[in-house]
Amino acid sequence: MLFQDIYRIISDKELIGYLFQGLGNTVVITVFAVLIGLFLGVAVAMVKIAAEHSKAMKIPAVICNIYTTVIRGTPVSLQLFIMVFGVLAIPGFKVYAAILTFGINSGAYVSENIRAGINSVDKGQTEAGRALGLSWGKTMRKIILPQAVKNVIPAIGNEMIALLKETSIISWIGATVGTITFDLNAAASTVNRTVVNYLASGIVAGAMYLAVVYLMILAVKLIERRLGKNERR
Amino acid sequence: MNEGKEVFFRSDDDALINVCGLYKYFGKTEVLKGVSCSIKKGEKVAIIGLSGSGKSTFLRCMNLLETPTYGEIWFENKLLTPVDPYLHADIIRKSRTYKEVRAKISAENPAFTETDADKAAISEIKAHDLLKKNEGKSYAAAIKAFYKSNFLDADLARRKIGMVFQHFNLFNNLTVLKNMTLAPVETGLYGKEEAEEKALGLLRRIGLADKADVYPATLSGGQKQRIAIVRALMMDPDVLLFDEPTSALDPEMVGEVLSLMKELANDGMTMVVVTHEMGFAKEVASRVIFIDDGVIKEENGPEEFFGEPKDERLKDFLSKVL
Ligand SMILES: Nc1ncnc2c1ncn2[C@@H]1O[C@H](COP(=O)(O)OP(=O)(O)OP(=O)(O)O)[C@@H](O)[C@H]1O
Ligand SMILES: [Mg+2]
Repeated sequence: MLFQDIYRIISDKELIGYLFQGLGNTVVITVFAVLIGLFLGVAVAMVKIAAEHSKAMKIPAVICNIYTTVIRGTPVSLQLFIMVFGVLAIPGFKVYAAILTFGINSGAYVSENIRAGINSVDKGQTEAGRALGLSWGKTMRKIILPQAVKNVIPAIGNEMIALLKETSIISWIGATVGTITFDLNAAASTVNRTVVNYLASGIVAGAMYLAVVYLMILAVKLIERRLGKNERR
Repeated sequence: MNEGKEVFFRSDDDALINVCGLYKYFGKTEVLKGVSCSIKKGEKVAIIGLSGSGKSTFLRCMNLLETPTYGEIWFENKLLTPVDPYLHADIIRKSRTYKEVRAKISAENPAFTETDADKAAISEIKAHDLLKKNEGKSYAAAIKAFYKSNFLDADLARRKIGMVFQHFNLFNNLTVLKNMTLAPVETGLYGKEEAEEKALGLLRRIGLADKADVYPATLSGGQKQRIAIVRALMMDPDVLLFDEPTSALDPEMVGEVLSLMKELANDGMTMVVVTHEMGFAKEVASRVIFIDDGVIKEENGPEEFFGEPKDERLKDFLSKVL
């Protein structure tokens, strides 16, 4: 029964095509959210680190602290509802609002990862750079960030993987815009209306999530290895 | 907090580095308690003392890796720190506090001459840290004018003040050659090719030319430290600061680093070396400084310093390490 239904989903062009379309939309949503998250994360981390040395950055750092505390202290589903039905309740804007929410959410976690990565670089590296007459910014760019990036690749990879799965809650808000009318999770529900076997549709959609996540894990490993080559003994 | 703060300002025109009334607090802990000292061109100064006495802090204040709490650091007659008004009698005289205190002193001591009253007022203001109030325009202007005409940006000064660390601190993400050329190229001191040529020349001199393209992780401690030294030389510094350059090395590698340092000393480099190597201090130093509990307890030429120490704590220290 289960295997028959799984086979039916895989072999039916319309059903499997629907799932692939959902998967594509999930990936697109994730990619844009990741880009927003990375941008915000780096910016917020730099502000917080700079505030340790510069008075001008103190107030921006307070704002950044509020941002990371609030975002990390509340559920992303709640943030999504507030954004889509509250702050950005514009008709036809739901998907954009959702992508923005995921990006803002991810940025808070990424910034903490990057900050931890920068702090994990030996203080002596900064001191050596400054002692040679390099400015704080140059020392950061040429010496600290390249080492920090290597340290945070695994953590950021994990964050992106979590984000990919988190985007599944977008199906709760019934978001539609242009070609993005449903994500993989929503596609699984639709397929299930035809097949009427939650286990079968769940297994197929789950396998698709898993395949993408597995590719992401491989990519992270590959990047890690390439960056690590320099310092291998 | 400033009570009993001993202050004197040495205006020593031929000094490379002038440290004036330096105090350093970490939170509430007072680590340096009024250190003054000047380093002349060509001098080789060894700094010794017990662990935790403030040697590293003192050295790191000279290139502003640590920010002094009070006092001034001068480099080649340029001010690297904010102005410390307590070091300048003519700035104190611009303050309202001075007028008040001086009037009071004159009234109480009719026998005082003008100069006596002036001196008494200034030392009272220094001793009791009375310059905290809003002092008005002429005072602020005096500080500003002094600062403007003497100030040198720390980043610029550091180009001329090399530093060698206990743990080498080579840049892990860069090859040996890149470690050496990064700062001179980024600061515009040398073009890329010029810098590489100079770096290779220095590497040849220390016998490590074959290591130009490897990463620091593959080197021994002694090799790392010698490269750290020539990396500092790439900036053509006027003075080199060393913070226990051999303390993190395996014993068999100490010699190679010390002999490179001796070579530099013979070439006339100005050096300030915090060290536990008494042999090096005796042989190379032109002056030895004993720091104890955040103050300079004794300083002298190596002969007198080791031959006839005067301070009791120094005698005690030397009897343990020699
Ligand atoms: N960044 C810091 N924060 C707080 N306390 C510090 C800091 N740096 C140094 N100290 C304290 O200041 C005191 C002097 O330290 P310093 O490193 O200057 O001593 P030192 O003479 O160089 O000792 P050692 O021979 O062990 O290197 C120590 O008690 C130390 O714990
Ligand atoms: Mg020390």
